[in-house]
Amino acid sequence: MPPSTCLWTLTQRSPETAVRFLSKIHPQVVYFSTSQARYANPSPKKKTMTAAPKRGTKTLNTKKGRSAAQDTGKRPAPGDRKQARKRIVLTNDNALAVASLKDMDKADTTSETSQGQVLGIPEATVDALRAVEAFKTTQGWNLFRRPATLMRKETIELAKVMNEAEGQKRTLRRILSGERLSGKSTLLLQALSMAFVREWVVINLPEAQDIVNAHTEYAPLPDSQPTQYTQDTYMANLLGQILKANSSASNPFLAKTQVTANHTLPVALPANASLKQLIEVGIVSPEASWPVFLALWRELTQPGRPPIMLAIDGTAHVMKESDYLNAQVKPIHSFDLAIVRHFIDHLSGAKSLPNGGVVLAATSQSNAPKTPALDFSIEVAEARRVNPNNIPRWNPYKNIDPRVMEAFKDLHSPTAENGAGGVNAMDVIKVGGLSKDEARSIMEYYAESGMLRAKVDDGFVTEKWSLAGMGNIGELERASVRFRI
Amino acid sequence: MPFISNINFTEGTLVKRSLETFFGVGPKVSQSIMARFHIQPWAKVGSLKQSTLLDLTAELSNMKIENDLRREVQENIRRLRDMGAYRGRRHAMGLPVRGQRTRTQIATARKLNKTNRGGDGSFGM
Repeated sequence: MPPSTCLWTLTQRSPETAVRFLSKIHPQVVYFSTSQARYANPSPKKKTMTAAPKRGTKTLNTKKGRSAAQDTGKRPAPGDRKQARKRIVLTNDNALAVASLKDMDKADTTSETSQGQVLGIPEATVDALRAVEAFKTTQGWNLFRRPATLMRKETIELAKVMNEAEGQKRTLRRILSGERLSGKSTLLLQALSMAFVREWVVINLPEAQDIVNAHTEYAPLPDSQPTQYTQDTYMANLLGQILKANSSASNPFLAKTQVTANHTLPVALPANASLKQLIEVGIVSPEASWPVFLALWRELTQPGRPPIMLAIDGTAHVMKESDYLNAQVKPIHSFDLAIVRHFIDHLSGAKSLPNGGVVLAATSQSNAPKTPALDFSIEVAEARRVNPNNIPRWNPYKNIDPRVMEAFKDLHSPTAENGAGGVNAMDVIKVGGLSKDEARSIMEYYAESGMLRAKVDDGFVTEKWSLAGMGNIGELERASVRFRI
Repeated sequence: MPFISNINFTEGTLVKRSLETFFGVGPKVSQSIMARFHIQPWAKVGSLKQSTLLDLTAELSNMKIENDLRREVQENIRRLRDMGAYRGRRHAMGLPVRGQRTRTQIATARKLNKTNRGGDGSFGM
């Protein structure tokens, strides 16, 4: 007998049962087809737009439109990004310690013998420089084992200026100008470190932009004519920096010195207070910070106190109107901000430092607003150094800021030229390129640190010196350490 | 949490932004108010002293803002409509008021030209 599924049995069945039977032996298959989608009814249009829900009403947000693959990584905590951006790294464990590196001491800062040497910055001074924010993130401190600087020609010139200021109790004012990456901020840092080593009092305004960009509180100073404006939070922070930087273990000047004069402060001062306690009062109560700063300044300018180093970086920012507005909604000129006014009075020579001191203003080429008056003043001073009879004329088609011109009048007038002892009261220090000897010295330091793997000979030094645009030190560091192959 | 004119703001809100939530206070007005009280442009509400907050509240209470201002605008339009002026009719019809063409591009007019312009203020914060 044939099996029941034999095909010939089909003929003996009715058509319906035959189909049922066939589907049993061939399970149903769905074939690929696009017709269903093509002939489907068009999708119903979206409902007409309704008005957006009114503010304050709660709506169901199903987040339909968002893609599923969203970055769910953890965001940095508030302040972390800023901290990472501002972090100053002063050591590189992979760099070799340079055995021949000597620390800068007081003798180095008073003599010319150290010219062309690379000198380490003493540890206490590094802490102080960190406190006054003298190190910048853009500088190459993180490449070497410990901070060290080259005593270049301009550094020695500044050291001489400091000698003169300390010896003759003069107020000497210098503006640091030069190309981009030529080392203006580093020269300022060297000046500050020399001042720390000499046990001067150092007051540094780390970045002029921070004073004028209207990011800190301000308030009109009562009884000031024309109105000046104080910045309490900024001043309290500055007082903190002054205190931290100027009270090292070896030089506890602020803690040891007592307040002598009778100051009228909004906050009570303990009896027989030291300068340190005075500053702490200003830090704790920011609304008293400006009177405290003035009181501190009066104390520092008493006879017998150390010389003062007053410095600012990014000067161009304070040579224009600030971003603050006065009550009449007009911009406040930077010179009307109390701390800037204080600095400019000393820079222009309107006020002097009775115990001697140096007022330094470093310019910047990478972050500087247009300040034709400052640029012109620097140009004049530089031209006078080359040839006193060939001084550029003011371009009348440029916008002059008369207050800035007034502040720099000593740079324009030839009468201010002949200061006592052959040192001008106000001058520009043009930070140029290194000499080849200096370039060789710093490159040997790079090589000894293990960051430059090449034989430092005359040919190599000349090549890098030329590549760096005739010894621009920033470019030299780039060419030999940062971008080495 | 700081209050300005009886409205509660979170501490992290910019003063500028919180002032501009009021109907009738835009960039210019908020700038001038802040300059008058010596508040820097990036100040946050949390950093203001209580006395400054009270000053701001007093300043805002002297100004015509929010529902008072809305009412004024609406009354101006109603006056035009009631006296049968062309401008009033156009407002009522939600059409451009100042002679613009109406063939295309009148979305703004449709949105804004109403007799109760600026809303009824019921959702004011």
